[in-house]
Amino acid sequence: MGFSLVAAAAIIGVSILVCTEIIIGNVSPTITGINDSYDDMKNRAIEQVQTDINITSATTASNGSNYDLNVAVKNTGSVSLKTSDFSILVDGTKQQFTCSDSYLYPEKTVYFNVNNIAGNGLERLKIITDKGISDYYSYILP
Amino acid sequence: MGFSLTGTHVIFFIASIIVAGAVSGVFIAVTMNVSNSFSERGDRVQEQLDTDFEIINDPNEIPTSNGYYVFYLMNTGGKRLLTTNETFHIFLDGEIAAVANYHFNDTYIQPSEVTEMHVIAALSGGSHILRVVGPQAIDDEFNFMI
Repeated sequence: MGFSLVAAAAIIGVSILVCTEIIIGNVSPTITGINDSYDDMKNRAIEQVQTDINITSATTASNGSNYDLNVAVKNTGSVSLKTSDFSILVDGTKQQFTCSDSYLYPEKTVYFNVNNIAGNGLERLKIITDKGISDYYSYILP
Repeated sequence: MGFSLTGTHVIFFIASIIVAGAVSGVFIAVTMNVSNSFSERGDRVQEQLDTDFEIINDPNEIPTSNGYYVFYLMNTGGKRLLTTNETFHIFLDGEIAAVANYHFNDTYIQPSEVTEMHVIAALSGGSHILRVVGPQAIDDEFNFMI
């Protein structure tokens, strides 16, 4: 009777060890993954809060029946921004552009060029950073 | 008498081994199920935390193309975003749009990238609300004027 009890306890003990190993093996990477994702989300939120831009000027030049646009954008936030990740909307339509610098550092200004845009009268400009932070600007075509 | 005592012990021993084995088997199976479910739930939570997007249109100027309204969707999350009719559902003024009435230019976009979402709908002049629901029920609401 005593030996039976010991054998049964040993089997259940081994199963408890196996279960513990299964739990640790599965839970540990899951918690690590969630923690990493939470950290990334927190960093994205911090970067969003610290990102801000200001369109300081927009000048136009005639290009046949269309026009070219030169926009000065100042980084008024405290995060460096990659200019190739920006989006420029002129009258609501996304435009291809070139930029004077690859990065827009805090308190610095870069110039975006958009060529051959159709339009007349009052135009609306929206520039969006890679984190979704944006600024608007209106200008009138001569 | 001596033999029957030994036989009884052997029977008790075998019975206890069988019972302990069965209990252990059930215990391990349940633990594996719970552990796998926890892991899958963790993956979903991780995907929820990694997923984020935003409609970046100018709300006063919604462009059109071939009769479709064009909305620009930016991936502001931390991982690749699948942009298909299966992963995204859209609501216009609270009514769900049929899957055939919208499509994306790209099947996926990397973080910081923008794709075009083309929506066909009969919208009257005035203000409207577009609600885009993506993977893991992450959503973005956008008010715009026509």
